[in-house]
Amino acid sequence: MAGGRPLRIPIVLGTVRKGRASANVARFLLEQVRTRGITTELIDISSLPLPTDDAGEAIKDKVFSDTINVSDGLVIVTPEYNHSFPGMLKHVLDTNLQEYVHKAVGIAGVSAGPFGGTRVIENMLSPMRELGLVTIFFDVNFGNVLKLFDDSGYLLDSSFVKRTDKFLNELVWMATTLRYGRENISVR
Amino acid sequence: MDKMMCPHCGAAMNLHAEKLIEPNTPKEAEEADPELHALIEEFHACPQCGWCAARRAR
Repeated sequence: MAGGRPLRIPIVLGTVRKGRASANVARFLLEQVRTRGITTELIDISSLPLPTDDAGEAIKDKVFSDTINVSDGLVIVTPEYNHSFPGMLKHVLDTNLQEYVHKAVGIAGVSAGPFGGTRVIENMLSPMRELGLVTIFFDVNFGNVLKLFDDSGYLLDSSFVKRTDKFLNELVWMATTLRYGRENISVR
Repeated sequence: MDKMMCPHCGAAMNLHAEKLIEPNTPKEAEEADPELHALIEEFHACPQCGWCAARRAR
């Protein structure tokens, strides 16, 4: 709780690919955030009606924009495709700017291999900064993701609960601090 | 500086960030800060409801 309002931190599922394993990760993180009493929701980028014949704020989706506007931070769940992030995720993120400035972002990397999206997370840092988001210094890496969940989406490795707890501790601290700054400390 | 008022709840907002924007048109170039040669975008947040908004510096 900060400023009398509960923190609001949505989870962005950052891929539209069929059969995406990141969906299990996003649902797991959604529950972890929700159990803390934080207002949250799942934003599935495949459900956003964004055209692909233009880009940036020109194609802003009001529902997505308003959701980010009233949020204090984001969790972005991104798979690693060819060492980088999905093009559609960048397409979606680029539709906003003012909604992001001085808000916290935590990144969950997902990969079929053992590295858990470490390379995609490194690649995400630069656009996060340019969008005005403030990255935290704790990630969660869901490597070997096809073996991490059963067919019903249940997490099979309980160590991720503790790792995610540390990740969310840092994200909540940053989101709380930045909310205070946004709302009370003037830049000039 | 005149405070931006929250378009959502009407409270006075806090100016928490500025960003320089490169002019894209001759009109924007005319409006740019003469020393910075750029437009200044202001970012405001509402301490009452949390709404965020932006405007060009005046």
